[in-house]
Amino acid sequence: MINRQEVSQQLRAIGSADILVGIPSFNNARTIGHVVKAVQAGLAKYFPEHKAVLVNSDGGSRDGTMDAVDRAVVEDLHSLLVRHRVEPFHKIAMPYSGIPGKGSAFRAIFELADTLGAKACAVVDSDLRSITPEWMELLLTPVLDGQFDFVAPQYHRHKYDGTITNSIIYPLTRALYGKRLRQPIGGDFGFSGRLARHYLGKDVWQTDIARYGIDIWMTSEALANGFRTAQAFLGAKIHDAKDPGSDLSAMLAQVVGSAFSLMAEYHGVWKEIRGSASVPQFGFQYTVGLESVNVDVGRMLGIFRNGVRDLGALWQSVLGRGDLDALNALATAPENEFRFPPSLWTRIIYDYALAYHKKSLSREHLLKSLVPLYLGRTAAFVLEAAAMGQDEAEAEIEKLCLEFEGAKPYLVANWR
Amino acid sequence: MQDFFRLIWEPVKEIYFTFREFAPNILAMLLIFLFGFLLARIFRGLLRRFLKIVKFDAWSDRMGLTAVMRKADMWRRPSEAAAALVFWFLLLGILMAGLSALHFQVFDNLVARFILYLPRAFSALFILIFGYIVAAFFGRAVLLTAVNSGYHYARLLAETVRLLLTVLVLAMALEQLQLAPGIVIAAFSIIFGGIILALAISFGVGGIDAARKMIERQEPAAEEKKKDIEHI
Repeated sequence: MINRQEVSQQLRAIGSADILVGIPSFNNARTIGHVVKAVQAGLAKYFPEHKAVLVNSDGGSRDGTMDAVDRAVVEDLHSLLVRHRVEPFHKIAMPYSGIPGKGSAFRAIFELADTLGAKACAVVDSDLRSITPEWMELLLTPVLDGQFDFVAPQYHRHKYDGTITNSIIYPLTRALYGKRLRQPIGGDFGFSGRLARHYLGKDVWQTDIARYGIDIWMTSEALANGFRTAQAFLGAKIHDAKDPGSDLSAMLAQVVGSAFSLMAEYHGVWKEIRGSASVPQFGFQYTVGLESVNVDVGRMLGIFRNGVRDLGALWQSVLGRGDLDALNALATAPENEFRFPPSLWTRIIYDYALAYHKKSLSREHLLKSLVPLYLGRTAAFVLEAAAMGQDEAEAEIEKLCLEFEGAKPYLVANWR
Repeated sequence: MQDFFRLIWEPVKEIYFTFREFAPNILAMLLIFLFGFLLARIFRGLLRRFLKIVKFDAWSDRMGLTAVMRKADMWRRPSEAAAALVFWFLLLGILMAGLSALHFQVFDNLVARFILYLPRAFSALFILIFGYIVAAFFGRAVLLTAVNSGYHYARLLAETVRLLLTVLVLAMALEQLQLAPGIVIAAFSIIFGGIILALAISFGVGGIDAARKMIERQEPAAEEKKKDIEHI
């Protein structure tokens, strides 16, 4: 992957590094400068005696993202109470090769970490507006101290945000691997050089993991292979609005498909695990103000009801008659009474995981048929949580997690 | 008197010699029928087992083949139906082989034409099966994409795509069989063009209200997408 001559020359000049921070990007010229400065300031403030490299792995941006990385420099470190930096700070901005996607960008970062023999690495998104220098300390120190191999993020997010995480990935990961990592697909991680080498050794770069599936893959690999795991509270996660044209269907399919694929690979690990336990936590918890989020519940419910009307036969082959009848009953409920029972949602996700494993349908079609169900569940959560505070909404997610843990024997028994 | 007996005996002798010359052919035909029939039955049994091992019935259920059979009032299991189809094909081949053993010009011609036609028949069968699977796959892909996009007439759109592909596949299969190719092409053009025209008319004239509603539905959706929630 690292085939550009100038990058190779830079690597030879740098030789080795203690810390490597990777930033994947694609047309993020507007925001990446702030992220680069925050990383540089964090490394200067908290790791002045460690040799550090910042790597921007770009997917062929046409808006001058890589130039923005080159230009972004914190001129006045004194204002950040940084007295001096002993070790130099290097920046590498390079385009990656392979399938366009975040996963391919990360692969290039892992390769550089391996080449430079980095002890601790971190990756952060390029569209973050809420990143601060402290994120570097929180993601890297637990790894650099040799205590942990993987540090997942924990954020305060609006109760309506991160619905794939809240309704599928967090409950599923927690029930499967028995660890309460609140943001398994948060995207901002710290990890050891040892774990980076483990990631590199896997041949997954032609799959959905090379796209949106990378985050759940990194987390699941760390959990399933017994790497020491922690989470760090980073405050709020505020980033640029996603491209309105980004396809929810493809995003859901890539993330959930990757999680289901990993279930087959690590069946031997998760089948014995029951219940869940918390993981060590770093960072000072504080309350943050969050941007308001508007949700078009009517449109979500419309797609759910269309799905019930048009996809009934397909859903019945996955869910069975009983749950299909329950969905039919749900579809006729008026908006103010529309509630999606956690037990029904749990069975749906487990039945989809089983159908994915048994290949009882084209996997692409199977995952796409989950979209109307997911939107129905999301709409129900939004309606239910409308009058709730942040803590109450979090308590609802906790209930769902317990439902996933309680129903796990059904998944284990039917996994053949 | 001797001449009279010779007059009677000569045709009988001729028939006898002809029969003696022809008898091995008949025997060969009967043996071909007998052993061919037995072999075909054994092959049918083996094929049934093989299809059971590879879970052909479950695959047929998934691909919708079973549903098509039921619609055609065929209630056998797909694996049994496939084995029976192959069995009858083999019997047809054995019949032709047996008849060719008689060395009659008319049967030889028939067998030759049958053998020459076999590749076309198999190609047509392959086109039908493969085409059905492709039509079902694309129909479902269109249905899922349309439902997930919030399109109200998803089922209608998917069925239209499936129908168009099915018409195309049928025309290809008939063209392969060389059954009145001129009529097939004309019929295909009329049906295919007719469907497109009907769609255009229904959307353009008959479905003015529906089109207006669809456009009205699309407009606010495009506007509100910008302030939608973050799913990841």
